[in-house]
Amino acid sequence: MRLIIKDLCHRYDDLVVLEGIDLTVREGEVLAVIGPSGCGKSTLLGIAGGIVAPTSGTIETAGAVPDGCLNPVTFIFQDFALLPWRSVEDNLALVLEHHPLPAAERRERIEAGLRRMGLWDFRKALPKQLSGGMRQRVGIARALAVRPAMLLLDEPLSALDAQTRELLMEDFLALWQRERTTALYVTHNLDEALRLADRVVVLSRRPGRLREIVTIEEPRDQRLQPSAQAHLAEVRDRLWHLIRAEAQLADREIANA
Amino acid sequence: MPDTSLPVTPAQPVRFRGGGFTVRTHRWAALLAFAVLIAVWESTNRFGLVSPLFLPPPSAVAKALGAMVADGSLWQHLKASLMRIGVGWAMGTVCGMAVGFAMGIGSVARAVGVPLVSAFFPIPKIALLPLFILWFGIGEPSKFATIGFGVFFPTVIATYSAIDSVPRNLIRMAQSFGLPWASILRKIVLPGALPGILAGFRITASIALILVVAAEMIGAEYGIGAFVLTAGNLMLTDQLLAGVLVLSLLGLAIGTVLSILERRLLKWR
Amino acid sequence: MTVVRWGRRTVLGVMGAAALALSAAPAFAQSLEKTSIGVLALASSGPIFIAKSKGYFEKEGLDVDLKMFTSAQQVPVAVASGDVDFGVTGLTAGFYNLAAKGAVTMIAAQSRDEPGFELSAYVAANTAFAAGLKKPADLKGKRIAITTVGSTFHYMLGLLGQKYGFTVKDLTMVPLQDVPKMTAAFKGGQVDAIVAPVTVARQMVADGAGTIIGWVGDETPWQLGALFTGPKTIAQRRPTVEKFIRAYQTALAEYHAAFNTKDASGAIVKGPGYDSLLAIIAEATKQKPEVVAAGLPYVDPQGKLLIDDVVNQVKFWQAEGQVDKALDAKSIMDLSFVK
Ligand SMILES: Nc1ncnc2c1ncn2[C@@H]1O[C@H](COP(=O)(O)OP(=O)(O)OP(=O)(O)O)[C@@H](O)[C@H]1O
Ligand SMILES: [Mg+2]
Repeated sequence: MRLIIKDLCHRYDDLVVLEGIDLTVREGEVLAVIGPSGCGKSTLLGIAGGIVAPTSGTIETAGAVPDGCLNPVTFIFQDFALLPWRSVEDNLALVLEHHPLPAAERRERIEAGLRRMGLWDFRKALPKQLSGGMRQRVGIARALAVRPAMLLLDEPLSALDAQTRELLMEDFLALWQRERTTALYVTHNLDEALRLADRVVVLSRRPGRLREIVTIEEPRDQRLQPSAQAHLAEVRDRLWHLIRAEAQLADREIANA
Repeated sequence: MPDTSLPVTPAQPVRFRGGGFTVRTHRWAALLAFAVLIAVWESTNRFGLVSPLFLPPPSAVAKALGAMVADGSLWQHLKASLMRIGVGWAMGTVCGMAVGFAMGIGSVARAVGVPLVSAFFPIPKIALLPLFILWFGIGEPSKFATIGFGVFFPTVIATYSAIDSVPRNLIRMAQSFGLPWASILRKIVLPGALPGILAGFRITASIALILVVAAEMIGAEYGIGAFVLTAGNLMLTDQLLAGVLVLSLLGLAIGTVLSILERRLLKWR
Repeated sequence: MTVVRWGRRTVLGVMGAAALALSAAPAFAQSLEKTSIGVLALASSGPIFIAKSKGYFEKEGLDVDLKMFTSAQQVPVAVASGDVDFGVTGLTAGFYNLAAKGAVTMIAAQSRDEPGFELSAYVAANTAFAAGLKKPADLKGKRIAITTVGSTFHYMLGLLGQKYGFTVKDLTMVPLQDVPKMTAAFKGGQVDAIVAPVTVARQMVADGAGTIIGWVGDETPWQLGALFTGPKTIAQRRPTVEKFIRAYQTALAEYHAAFNTKDASGAIVKGPGYDSLLAIIAEATKQKPEVVAAGLPYVDPQGKLLIDDVVNQVKFWQAEGQVDKALDAKSIMDLSFVK
């Protein structure tokens, strides 16, 4: 599925957050969004997912959705957003309960999601009993249970420690290896973008404007190879060059506010 | 830095200095304190320090309580009071939660409700008893109303602030998965507000206990409150304290039930 | 409330002594003996107000401090705790329970319900009246609002039953704790009748809520209230008690002559000093003289108790299970002061 954003502007009262965004998320690609703090990344994602109403501009989706897709555009959250009073499997059930599915299929989807994320043994556990990484895996399994056509990920790994982050990146890689679900992936972390994204969108500081789109040529599964490192280092430099000054200014702005 | 060689000091064990400032549980301390209190209380009477009229000894209170158990009147009083507390509390709670929910999710309801609740909450219900008698008569309805009114306002406040404390991100998540409004209310808002609502129950249960005495000022023949009032009027201080003891035991029992309920319902916390 | 018997008195005594020592001699300039009495601001305490206002206590060498209480319940408690030396109020089951524990002893009469004196009324609600509740004897089987279990009104109903051959079990007493709630229940048609003090009863009639069907004084005269003190005061300060009673009796006689005189036809007529005494009571009770005049109770000119009625009261409460069966009515009256 594609996502087409045209001339998007967003304001919170007097605060202009996004301005003149034109962007297309292509079918099957992982598009990373980086930009300084407060530049409107989460807002952009919220608008894309239909839970924030834009001030002006249009958002459209186009293209095919997978078989059995219940919620084409699906979020994975930074804070996991799990219901603490529901067990792991019931957290998955939550997003299926309001759909008229045969009970068997519901069970099957939950089991498939849990097994894929290695959560089957923890299906009866409550969120508080799980580590951060496991909780995010529940978030991912929940998203997979509705067979999304597009994933919106808002800094999905930034609440996790470095090693867990590494492990989850492997999970994401495996995910995009198997089904090429389109994804819009907001992050602060250049390494994440370099490991996971096909293209990287750089936003300016608030009001967020599109500064540049950088394409990473290296195929995703080869990026740990020594041969890829030269190219990746180059892209990294470029991205860093683009956001360094912006981040500095944004930092000052926050200090002055 | 002066360039002198450091003095050689002999090795010293590190002194532990992290003690205190932590609360440890002493299982028997409370019981012991209770026992000592009762012993002191009893002995003040035995040694003639306090007239039994002013502070009946625990043995006299126990005897009065025993008499109530023996002639079955305790059960009769308890039954009457529990029924009033139960019905009055349930009515106040159901109405209070309904209004609290409306105020928690509807901005108009909140704008209207908050000043009204602030205005009506502090009214002493006892002052309204003559009105309740005119409105609801002297039978059970006015007693339910007294307790229900007392319970209603704190329930409203507890409910809507509990709803305020439901994490917004969970509601956002539910919306992003396309859950219908009613499902969000039932599956996210209600359970998310439950801790705050249950905390409110603790307060309203105590209020109901306090108000049962006021409610039973209205022509009650039986009831712990009526018993306490009568004992006070008759200057039967041992019975008075026996009734008060029953009330506090009732409070303890209700508190325990609520604790169990909390542990059951909120084990996810 | 004083909890420890020796506590407050001792402390106050020490403090008083210290204060005296500091302020030196002037305090002793007038050598009046200090004492105190707990009263309610009601016409039934009239003789006490008169004795105080006209200086009868001072003539006996007493400086009596009048402590006002708001409910009859509090007065004997205050005597028992030693907060006041004397008390004068209505006789309730609570009073007898205090007396039974040796906390108070009756030494003279206060007011009583007496034929011709409109003090306490049986008031029928309109619907009940229409349905045939026309006289006190008809109260059997009715719902009647009273203040509390063990109150004077409770006894009045018991007494009425003794006269007409029923017991309080034959009617439904609805205890409502205070007059506002009784009024509300009465006006709201929740009860058939109330037994109420004259002012309340007349107000009900004025509001069109009911009809006075009789007066307790006419039906069942009885000893409504008493003057009492602690047994310890009698034992340790007997001369003080005697002085107090003498002053009280002077005032009683004056009160009786002014307010309790009947002419040949039996109608109450104004006696000597009527207006000045009425003014004293009106001021002490903070009521208009005409309101006070409408509810002036009968007192015995010497303060003699209706001993038979007190015995009957104790028996009644014992039968009701509200006063200890072991209590002997004679043991809580000291009749040596009023002869
Ligand atoms: N609901 C809201 N009402 C008002 N202002 C908001 C709201 N949500 C966000 N903002 C403001 O809008 C700006 C952009 O917010 P947003 O969360 O989209 O930024 P972000 O790029 O995701 O930031 P971060 O990197 O910190 O996650 C911020 O300055 C923020 O304070
Ligand atoms: Mg953000």
